[in-house]
Amino acid sequence: MHRYIFRRLLLMLPVMIGVTFIVFTMMYFTPGDPARIMLGESAPEDAVQRLREDMGLNDPFLMQFGRYVTNVARGDFGRSYTQRRPVATMIIDRFPTTLKLATWGVIVSIVIGIPTGIISATKQYSLFDNVSMVLALVGVSMPNFWQGLMMIIIFALNLRWFPASGFTTWKHIVLPAITLGTSSAAQITRMTRSSMLEVIRQDYIRTARAKGQVESVVINQHALKNALIPVVTVIGLSFGGLLGGAVLTESIFSIPGVGSLMIQAIRQRDYPVVQGGVLFIALSFSLVNLLVDILYAFIDPRIKAQYK
Amino acid sequence: MKKNRKMLALLSLMLVVVLVAVGCGSTTDAPVTGDDKPSVAKDELIIASPSDAVSLDPHGTNDASSALVMKQIYETLVVQDENMDLKPGLATSWEKIDDLTFEFKLREGVKFHNGEDFTAKDVEFTLLRALKSDHIGHIVGPINSEAIEIIDDYTIRIGTSEPFAPLLAHLAHGASGMLNEKAVTEKGDDYGQHPVGTGPFMLANWSNGEFIELTRFDDHHSVKPEFKTMTFKAISEATNRTIELEIGSIDIANNVTPNEIKRIEDNSDLILLRDPSLGNNYIGFNLTKAPFDDVRVRQAINYALDVDTIVEAVYQGVGSPAAGALGPSVFAAHTGLEQYGYNVEKAKELMKEAGLENGFSTTIWVNDGNRQRMDIAEILQNQLQQINITTDVQVLEWGAYLENTSKGEHDMFILGWTTVTGDPDYGLYALFHSTQHGPAGNRTFYSNPKVDELLDSARRTADPAERERLYKEAQEIIRDEAPWIFVQDNENLVGIRNNISGLSLHPAGHHIFYNVSFK
Repeated sequence: MHRYIFRRLLLMLPVMIGVTFIVFTMMYFTPGDPARIMLGESAPEDAVQRLREDMGLNDPFLMQFGRYVTNVARGDFGRSYTQRRPVATMIIDRFPTTLKLATWGVIVSIVIGIPTGIISATKQYSLFDNVSMVLALVGVSMPNFWQGLMMIIIFALNLRWFPASGFTTWKHIVLPAITLGTSSAAQITRMTRSSMLEVIRQDYIRTARAKGQVESVVINQHALKNALIPVVTVIGLSFGGLLGGAVLTESIFSIPGVGSLMIQAIRQRDYPVVQGGVLFIALSFSLVNLLVDILYAFIDPRIKAQYK
Repeated sequence: MKKNRKMLALLSLMLVVVLVAVGCGSTTDAPVTGDDKPSVAKDELIIASPSDAVSLDPHGTNDASSALVMKQIYETLVVQDENMDLKPGLATSWEKIDDLTFEFKLREGVKFHNGEDFTAKDVEFTLLRALKSDHIGHIVGPINSEAIEIIDDYTIRIGTSEPFAPLLAHLAHGASGMLNEKAVTEKGDDYGQHPVGTGPFMLANWSNGEFIELTRFDDHHSVKPEFKTMTFKAISEATNRTIELEIGSIDIANNVTPNEIKRIEDNSDLILLRDPSLGNNYIGFNLTKAPFDDVRVRQAINYALDVDTIVEAVYQGVGSPAAGALGPSVFAAHTGLEQYGYNVEKAKELMKEAGLENGFSTTIWVNDGNRQRMDIAEILQNQLQQINITTDVQVLEWGAYLENTSKGEHDMFILGWTTVTGDPDYGLYALFHSTQHGPAGNRTFYSNPKVDELLDSARRTADPAERERLYKEAQEIIRDEAPWIFVQDNENLVGIRNNISGLSLHPAGHHIFYNVSFK
């Protein structure tokens, strides 16, 4: 098991380099001059050219890429073109916010999704099942952006229960977390339901019942554990995705997370920030995937045996 | 049944856990935002802007959000009031020594936020550093670095390389805010996060991407603000700014968009402030591409577009239809120009003269994220059908838009311009002078030797009356040659709660907030 984990960690390195190379290439060839964007449309051309020279933008592609990789190896992620602040600081500053948001979003989705999925499965075709499936469909179809705005209007403006923007007190987390959680909740509900349905039909469940086992134990211990694998995958993917920053939600609630930083940096062609951000997202995503795979091992001993 | 009750218990337990966990979440240091009550703490003024400042180093950036915050922190030698008239700032008086040089007498007893005294050395330091700035060097560019001479602690001479009439207006621009040498050298690359100025407010706390908190500078030489704290919150959605204003968790909402006007005006707790700004919106032609090299075609298109309706429909009556290149707040703006107006017959006539009765196909470029400009493009597409012109609307991302229009790859494009100094040189030179083709600002690639001559002369002439005459002539020619469709002269829209008074809007959008009081 330890060897497995170690190997996985090592494999992340080529992934990082590959991701960096792809993003670097894309940014390099995308039209839009960071110097011109920074100085604005009313700056004279010679000022722009001077800035390009200073930023090393006129150097050949491989030279720029090589320079970047060497610096990263030394722990220097460069400074933002626009803010002049170290990229690492900028991202680390925003990471706790994104982490909090992602975590609470996932918690909301789990709290809503798994119980609903279980009940839907055990009471298939009941009113509860039908209603929750419809709600799940609605949850997935509702655009994040719109839902966020609706929540602000209802709960912040009309009811004054929660604030409309910002991210400083615990009250600020509620609305964005629910907005984020509901769309993932829908996915988790459906996944839990279908997975449970499959598992409930299995012979060993029949055996457990035949043994005289209490139904709740049958469901929660025997069935659920086996049904969880695909669900854990979905949860892991959605958490990993959220770590990349829930851009629309961040925008609507004015939350300074990694997502909005990235969008801003891309628009401004703030290459160091984009590069740093992408590396960071790739790293988080890989780690989350690894955690999910390790979790599989604890849920399913058959999988644990495969990890050598 | 037992099964159901257990399930219910499980669910309730989970819910309780979540609620407890949420309830015990950590709180971080936050300014008093008054989120929990409809009325705001009177010792704090909260302003919402579309984005956070990028840097509080006037030489490190040229964006509007940073400029707004810096306006409260720094002061310039010369100041422009709401009528864009020049008034003493940190300089109490000035005198023209010769064609190239001004001598400034500086105010005494001015302190920086770090306790240092403001003297001529700081002026010299600031200007030399500004000249080297990639971001705003062009605003102080006309100044000759060798011609800055300190006479004594409170007297300094500033010279330009060539006669440059708009110098004083440029010295009133935020980019010319006075810096303290000690503070800048101490902080080095991080200065932008730790500004030190002479203004009535100083930086207390900056949570990047979220808010900037300023606190009153009690040693300011003349201004005594009523409140202690000024907070700028970054709220990117216009609708959200309005909602926050309605709730009362902010006092002032900046950059109100036309769609929000009705909501604010209908709310008795709020007031909408509006004043002409220094910005405009225009549609440009690429004069290097046929048939836009033919003035008749350009004029025809001007006649074919109903600009008045656009201002009504797209901008909801914000601003006014433009007749020329300069808006009414700019010095020497020609207010007597005749608008082309909506005259389809005349348009058809001109197209016929140009041999293009049967029209042609073309494209119009718009940048993404600007709802109004996209609406204008669609209206244009529609109205140009009347003269048999088929237009394809293409939306480009901002960076790509700037780059490709600089290269002249476009046919027609929609853009805007803000004459931040209030001086016609800034509003015309970069846009219409033949040396400024492409990225510098002249994206129509317009060239007219007579206009060049007028603009160059007006730059050098010190006499305001003469400058006005020259600029008016230039504006007439530009209007007749129509490298643009003149669309709209813009307005600044700011929403405030009705207990706010004393806010007067600055045409450049750099409003002063420290004179505001609560009723």
